[in-house]
Amino acid sequence: MNAAISPAAVVVRRTIAASAEDLFDAWLDPEALVEWMRPGTIQRTEARNDPRVGGKYEIIMHADSGPIPHRGEYRVIDRPRRLVFTWNSKFAENTLVTVDFLKRDSRTEIVITHEQLPEAELGSHTRGWTSALERLDTYGCGA
Amino acid sequence: MGEYQSSQLDGVFNALCDPTRRAILSRLTDNDARVTEIAAQFPISLNSISKHIRMLERAGLVTRTVQGRDHVLSLNAGPLADASEWIEHYRRFWEGRLAALEKYVLNKRKRK
Repeated sequence: MNAAISPAAVVVRRTIAASAEDLFDAWLDPEALVEWMRPGTIQRTEARNDPRVGGKYEIIMHADSGPIPHRGEYRVIDRPRRLVFTWNSKFAENTLVTVDFLKRDSRTEIVITHEQLPEAELGSHTRGWTSALERLDTYGCGA
Repeated sequence: MGEYQSSQLDGVFNALCDPTRRAILSRLTDNDARVTEIAAQFPISLNSISKHIRMLERAGLVTRTVQGRDHVLSLNAGPLADASEWIEHYRRFWEGRLAALEKYVLNKRKRK
């Protein structure tokens, strides 16, 4: 993990019987994104992107209540190992998503780390999240 | 998930991101306490404790009531619930997306 950012936030893992390359590409291909970036409550998803470091993406999930845009910028594109992008939506302003693709024999473990960036954008040392009084143990502070 | 401002959550996360402030909150989960009582429990200056308490107040996690000469602090757990809600929302979201990604990639392979 990058030492400059907090070590943990929401961390979700899943091991999938597919190559890291196939899985990685599905994160950057708009035709793939509209298929799997569509939670059950969403009627359809639109996606467009400029898949290079510093390039922007936009994923709009259309819910009954209206469109929910998600926008950000790619920070790291290291095929097929790691993808890092900022993530902004009405639920999550100024957050960072890191996706690691770990080879597990013929399968691939994907680890998503989604963290808040309260001050990182200002260039100072970063403080992350910490436990809500020990009730949740999957996220912590960067210090 | 509730309608709240992300900037408020930033304040909550920042406030929580310090062991002294977490200890103060833990202390206040038991019962309300005077500022002087809190200060006596930590080996740092009253000035430093006051700064930590002000940060907790700004994050909406702690409420101060002035009773005569005493400043009494109490815990306000509402913002913590919002933070937990955020975490749970995205845990469910990403778990769901990874399940959908698996389905997508495996189906695509079958079609080839």
